[in-house]
Amino acid sequence: MNNTPFTTRRDFLRTTILGGALSWTVPSFVAQTFQALGAQADGSLTQIQTGTDGPILVLIQLAGGNDGLNAVVPYTNDFYYNARPNIGIKNDAVLTLNDTLGLNPGMTGFKDLFDNGHLSVVSGVGYPNPNRSHFRSTEIWQTASDEDKYLADGWLGRYFDNACQGCDPTIAVNIGPRLPQAFASHTPTGVSLENPDSYRFIGAGPNDDETVAYRSMYTTPDDALPDFNSGGGAHANSGGSVSMVSGTVMLQNGQSALDFLERTSMDAQVSSDKIRAITSKTPMRSNYPNNGLAKNLQLVARLIAGGLPSRIFYVSQGGYDTHTNQRGSQDARLKELSDSVKAFTDDLASIGAFDRVLIMTFSEFGRRVQENASGGTDHGAAAPMFLIGSKIKSGLLGAEPSLDPKDLTDGDIKYNTDFRSVYATLLQDWLKTNPLPILGGKSYPTLPLLADSPDPATPTAAKPAKTGA
Amino acid sequence: MLDQLPGNQWNKATAAHLMNRAGFGGSPAAIENLHALGMNGAVSWFLNYDKIPDDTPAPDWAQPDPEMVTRKEAIKKAADPETKRMLDQQMYQQENAEMAELRYWWLRRMALGPRPFQEKMTLFWHGHFATSFEKVRNPYFLWLQNDTLRQNATGNFSQLLIAVAEDPAMLVYLDGAQSHKSHPNENFAREVMELFTLGEGNYTEQDIQQAAKAYTGWGLSRDQQHYQYHPGNHDDGPKTVFGQTGNYSGEDVLNMICDQPKCSHFIAERLWRFFVQDNPPPACVDALADVLHKSGMDIRHTMSMLFRSKEFYSSSAMRAQIKSPVQWLIQAVHQLEAPLPTQPMSLVMLRQLGQELFQPPNVKGWDGGIAWITTNNLLDRYNYAAALVEGNRVPLPGLQGQMRSLLNNVSPDGLLQIGPADVTVLFSAVDLADTQNFLSALQARFLNGDLKPQRQNVLAEFLKSRSPLEEADIRKAIRLIMCMPEYQLT
Repeated sequence: MNNTPFTTRRDFLRTTILGGALSWTVPSFVAQTFQALGAQADGSLTQIQTGTDGPILVLIQLAGGNDGLNAVVPYTNDFYYNARPNIGIKNDAVLTLNDTLGLNPGMTGFKDLFDNGHLSVVSGVGYPNPNRSHFRSTEIWQTASDEDKYLADGWLGRYFDNACQGCDPTIAVNIGPRLPQAFASHTPTGVSLENPDSYRFIGAGPNDDETVAYRSMYTTPDDALPDFNSGGGAHANSGGSVSMVSGTVMLQNGQSALDFLERTSMDAQVSSDKIRAITSKTPMRSNYPNNGLAKNLQLVARLIAGGLPSRIFYVSQGGYDTHTNQRGSQDARLKELSDSVKAFTDDLASIGAFDRVLIMTFSEFGRRVQENASGGTDHGAAAPMFLIGSKIKSGLLGAEPSLDPKDLTDGDIKYNTDFRSVYATLLQDWLKTNPLPILGGKSYPTLPLLADSPDPATPTAAKPAKTGA
Repeated sequence: MLDQLPGNQWNKATAAHLMNRAGFGGSPAAIENLHALGMNGAVSWFLNYDKIPDDTPAPDWAQPDPEMVTRKEAIKKAADPETKRMLDQQMYQQENAEMAELRYWWLRRMALGPRPFQEKMTLFWHGHFATSFEKVRNPYFLWLQNDTLRQNATGNFSQLLIAVAEDPAMLVYLDGAQSHKSHPNENFAREVMELFTLGEGNYTEQDIQQAAKAYTGWGLSRDQQHYQYHPGNHDDGPKTVFGQTGNYSGEDVLNMICDQPKCSHFIAERLWRFFVQDNPPPACVDALADVLHKSGMDIRHTMSMLFRSKEFYSSSAMRAQIKSPVQWLIQAVHQLEAPLPTQPMSLVMLRQLGQELFQPPNVKGWDGGIAWITTNNLLDRYNYAAALVEGNRVPLPGLQGQMRSLLNNVSPDGLLQIGPADVTVLFSAVDLADTQNFLSALQARFLNGDLKPQRQNVLAEFLKSRSPLEEADIRKAIRLIMCMPEYQLT
């Protein structure tokens, strides 16, 4: 019996941070958590959080397919100017990074970060046989699947399943209405919120009878928990014998829609209490530009400042699908991105948290090298990624792809760095976990991204995980 | 094969299921009336809606605006930047106001109109042929597309596909109007195969590139108010699609796509997901695809077979679907026998809950299923439930500001109110006589089924010391049941 490491329910409650709030909802996920915790009883892989230490990864999705060539401009490359007679960015307008590459003129914030040693560009990131559908390619980036495989869970979801079993639901926070597919996991993890003020059950008052009844759904006595030592596990207890209970159809992973809703209700209540405790004592910080992305990053900084024990924050910015009139729209989006991230990093520095944070941008694909007849570009393939943090080695990573028409595939840039190499680097060197089980058992070469990265020639065996404070 | 539901399984529960799925739910009395029609009568009542008069007038601005181009040109040429900014702003606000009117116009049709199934199908097709105001920016085009979807809602699929493809909204949304034989735009060509008809893996990149040539020439009239074919822009050379070569037109290619065996399968799966369940059993999809294919892509016939099938009423389908925000709102209004909330209240709720009509997140439409639910919008559902049941006398944080911006800060006081629902008429004296009766009536009306015992206990505990039940107690009990996991299912 390797799946019953707990001898008492009280042990179980003590072990899972969710325990205090765990109540009527004991569907299959608890059994899964329970068994996974059993397998990891030494705790070595479970990431303990205190809220004031531990690395944080902030993902910024650039939705729609960001045109890499007009973001990081190869300003000495004749192939670039030949392909883009109308929308190409003039070489005297770019913000120079080195002898061949310069940033879009709106990206002064990123230029500052680069000059201060806090920004790294990975050139030519993609994957084999690129897919040019927004949805499929986004799915590939979110699930880290091979281009011909379909995975239900996301790459961060597998990180949660492997390294965060039993963690607080706020281990991962999406700022926005919908959870990204990257969060999809065997055990649903992570919360979504837009506005911390309305992120709660609103009753007439904190102790009115309605609120008390609502809260009672999330706190039941210890002995209401099923007996995990009875051998039947949670399956024997879930659902009971009541007929006609709603939602017993199984979704993937043996979860019913009702199980899912129970779990999410509980996560909502637990995270609501926690987030409101933080925002009530941490003021909103100023000096951000006025746009949606900035507003969301501002909230992330506030939650970090307040000590929310999160490892992952996820925000997104749309508007990159520039089939027409690209210069007007993409330049404005990139300026928003760059100004917002600069304000965010300044804010983090002022609260002493910049050292804990690494920011990664990604987009489902770059765009066709040749501009189209509408002053835009069509869906393409490889593109650069931006990585920002005080602990990174600033500079340019990955080989710059050739734009020579004979080196293109159907007019698109060939990748030099697989995006899963970037994920592997972040998982291993930043989040300190073994990337292998998260990336389908495949080993991807890591990049010398961090200032304390091993020499790239060194084999990249997984390091033992740290266990926090 | 889909088997017909045995007559003895047509009961209030199965009638409620049909009411919720073919329409948007109903009060216990409405469900009882549907039940009394018998299954065949009930299905035909929903499907043969053309017998029911619907004289809902279109919004008064929903007509071609031949002056639009001239007006836009004039704004571009405005003498000083300040005037230009003001005129731009004016136009922007007018578009937003018309769009809000259109959203509410449709929502009212879904909630209160005489043909719920036609509206449910229209909602299905809107998600299927997802087109967003964010890019189209023209309320008239979106009304036109909505009307196209409604008029063709249960007709022949290939006719619907061609009608939607040649509607101005789609020509703008997927850049068809920008496509020219010198540079065929692939956006529409790709999405039509990937998302509207065949699904990933059932065509090649070459099929897309070749089909894109066939669609060239489709465009808008000079005044940009309707579809017009421009022969000079059309590539009339040979194209090779699905291994066949010919000088195809765009319509030819769309018909060839509909003839692919995968097409009926793809549509059948989408229908099954929307109307029945999230993870369709493959055998059911095969059976429905077969019906669709053999009927020559006749949607009404296919839906009629679906709604009469045993599989539609299986235990894995009933009360197992997570409500979309539109379903959540309208079903609640029926259950509460309350008026639809005002335009700004309704629209802000739908936006916050993740289903802003005419603004799906992308061309794939809404994912549906568990994607409707996040911790954030679950809490929103709980709080909006309070507004629907108890009235929004207590201002909801976040909601007020959003509504003001929606109304462009026009004095909105009357429109920001929801009165408390009249809950006393929902229950009989017998229902209210004791806690057990009340709990049964509450679950029957609001769930068409039962809560899990632990949540029945929460309600029983809440009601325990309250006898006789006062109006405020009834309201709170309703709000509580609406804040339970079972309530999010239909």
